[in-house]
Amino acid sequence: MSSNPISEEKKYIRMTGHERLQHHLTWTTFVVLAFTGFMVEFPEEWLVVLGNSKEPIFFWRGLIHRIAAVIMIANLFYQCWYITCTRDGRKYFLAMLPRLQDITDFYKNMLYYLRISSNKPKFDCFNYKEKMEYWTAWIGNIIITGTGFILWIEHLFPKFFFDVSILVHTMEAILASCAIMVWHFYEVHLKPGKFPMSGIFLDGLIPEHELEEEHPLQYERIKNAEATANIPEA
Amino acid sequence: MKAQLFLFKNILPVLFLWLILLSPFPVLAADQENCSLCHKYPGLGRIDKNNKKRLFYVNEDSYTHSVHGRLNCRDCHTNVDKFPHDDIEKVDCATQCHLTEPSGDKKFSHASIIEKFNKSVHGLCDKPTHIKYPGDLPTCTYCHENRILHPISVLGKDTPGIAREVINRCLGCHEDEQWARTYYSHLTHRMMPRRSSKTMVTLCTSCHENKDRMERHGLEVTGTYRDTLHWQAVKYGKINAPNCIDCHAPVGYFSHEIMPKDDPDASIHKTKILSTCSNQSGLQQCHPGATAAFAKGPIHPSGVKAHLFDAKLDTFDIKEQIKRGELKPFKSLIAERAQKEMTTVEYYKYIVLLIIKYLYRILIGALISFMIFHQFLDYLATKRELKRRKH
Repeated sequence: MSSNPISEEKKYIRMTGHERLQHHLTWTTFVVLAFTGFMVEFPEEWLVVLGNSKEPIFFWRGLIHRIAAVIMIANLFYQCWYITCTRDGRKYFLAMLPRLQDITDFYKNMLYYLRISSNKPKFDCFNYKEKMEYWTAWIGNIIITGTGFILWIEHLFPKFFFDVSILVHTMEAILASCAIMVWHFYEVHLKPGKFPMSGIFLDGLIPEHELEEEHPLQYERIKNAEATANIPEA
Repeated sequence: MKAQLFLFKNILPVLFLWLILLSPFPVLAADQENCSLCHKYPGLGRIDKNNKKRLFYVNEDSYTHSVHGRLNCRDCHTNVDKFPHDDIEKVDCATQCHLTEPSGDKKFSHASIIEKFNKSVHGLCDKPTHIKYPGDLPTCTYCHENRILHPISVLGKDTPGIAREVINRCLGCHEDEQWARTYYSHLTHRMMPRRSSKTMVTLCTSCHENKDRMERHGLEVTGTYRDTLHWQAVKYGKINAPNCIDCHAPVGYFSHEIMPKDDPDASIHKTKILSTCSNQSGLQQCHPGATAAFAKGPIHPSGVKAHLFDAKLDTFDIKEQIKRGELKPFKSLIAERAQKEMTTVEYYKYIVLLIIKYLYRILIGALISFMIFHQFLDYLATKRELKRRKH
């Protein structure tokens, strides 16, 4: 593999250990939750087969859904701790905060996509796509956790709360699953050059050329920092 | 050679005839009048006056093991007295049969249960719509289908039997095996739900999901049951999953005496609904900690009613609308109920749910379409860039 020039390329840290662990927890619980959740919406013909298996599938479905939900909620608190109590986390959170630049970036990017402008906007550490995903994930998580808890202890609330919760929980799940499929799966799996998947979520490292291409502002900053650090030595 | 010919020409046909006449089936134990002489043949049937195919085959084995296995045919089919039997009356389950009810010395009859049933919501009581459409109401045999008499439904199904070891314990005292089997079934039948939850739902919804039929009695269809987690559990074959009967005739109530919801004897009456939801005395406690507020809400969401309620708010003149042909006459019955039963709060709750539903639909539609559009443009741009870089 050493003959491959890319493997010798310099790599930069994109995701810290905490971030990778949080991401692993999120995607595993998301898959489990989506599957066990949508199991109640399966077409009836499939369920006839499952129902005939004599296994208490329905019971396991509910239990696994709840276990995964608790892990996902714990992961939310982990994220809260990370973005407040660690230096990396605070840096990460500040970089994630929406700025006016995101709106202009979006506008410029659309012009570039539509071939009106030939210049790609220069993104920072997180571009508007990533920020949008991050913040919608937060909102979605809060909505789905809240309604999920109401459904869990349904008998303590008026029936109307249950009706609203089950509707919102289902709709939010559909929205989240569709968004993940279209937005995230394309960005890190299906995009030309990324297939079958971007390896950042595994080792946390981004190759130099990718950083330069996708996050040029961050790349420039790193290069400047490196240069200033190198001057006294030179 | 001659002896062989004799065998072929004389003995074999006789044997063959014997085989046909003395069928391999056991003779019906109670069949003192030998009805099975004809009715044992699976093809026995005719087309009746209404061009309906009728099958008169009785599977003897199934019959003798059924709850009615000890009865003579004419105990129920009372006016069969000539050949060929024509103009036979429908069996009336209230007929006194020739069995004696063992706890008293009276002739046995289902009349008492029919009397109770007739007072229930399904019974032929004095409700005007019930009198107008008596054919819509379930009869005994609508639910208690005498499955054993239909040979097709028996095919491919293993008949549940009683294990030999079990029946041997009965036979220690009771000599007649058929008697032992009948009573064993009689008792065990009553100790567990006879129908699976899925069959129960199929049975009830065979009428209650029929829109026209429900509307002309002023009722809504129960389609929304299938949106509930109750039904999902039934589909997954969960044991004791809640079907219609579990709420409308739970433990302590009787499926023949289901009452309308405003009757104080109904399990879903507002004074009883809490104990029905918690189901403390049932096989499983469903919602043991249910609060009164939880039990109060509508279980079958009231979509149709809300629409009519809505229409009513704009000085809804039902008769005018019927005249103009904009509304089916049946709908007016639901509208009446909506005016009587639906509170304004309930109506606004329904509207809130509707708004949330449509907001989400718009949000999902708009957001996902935007995402697809955005990513498609990104795909084209990335392709362009990769191509340019190659050159």
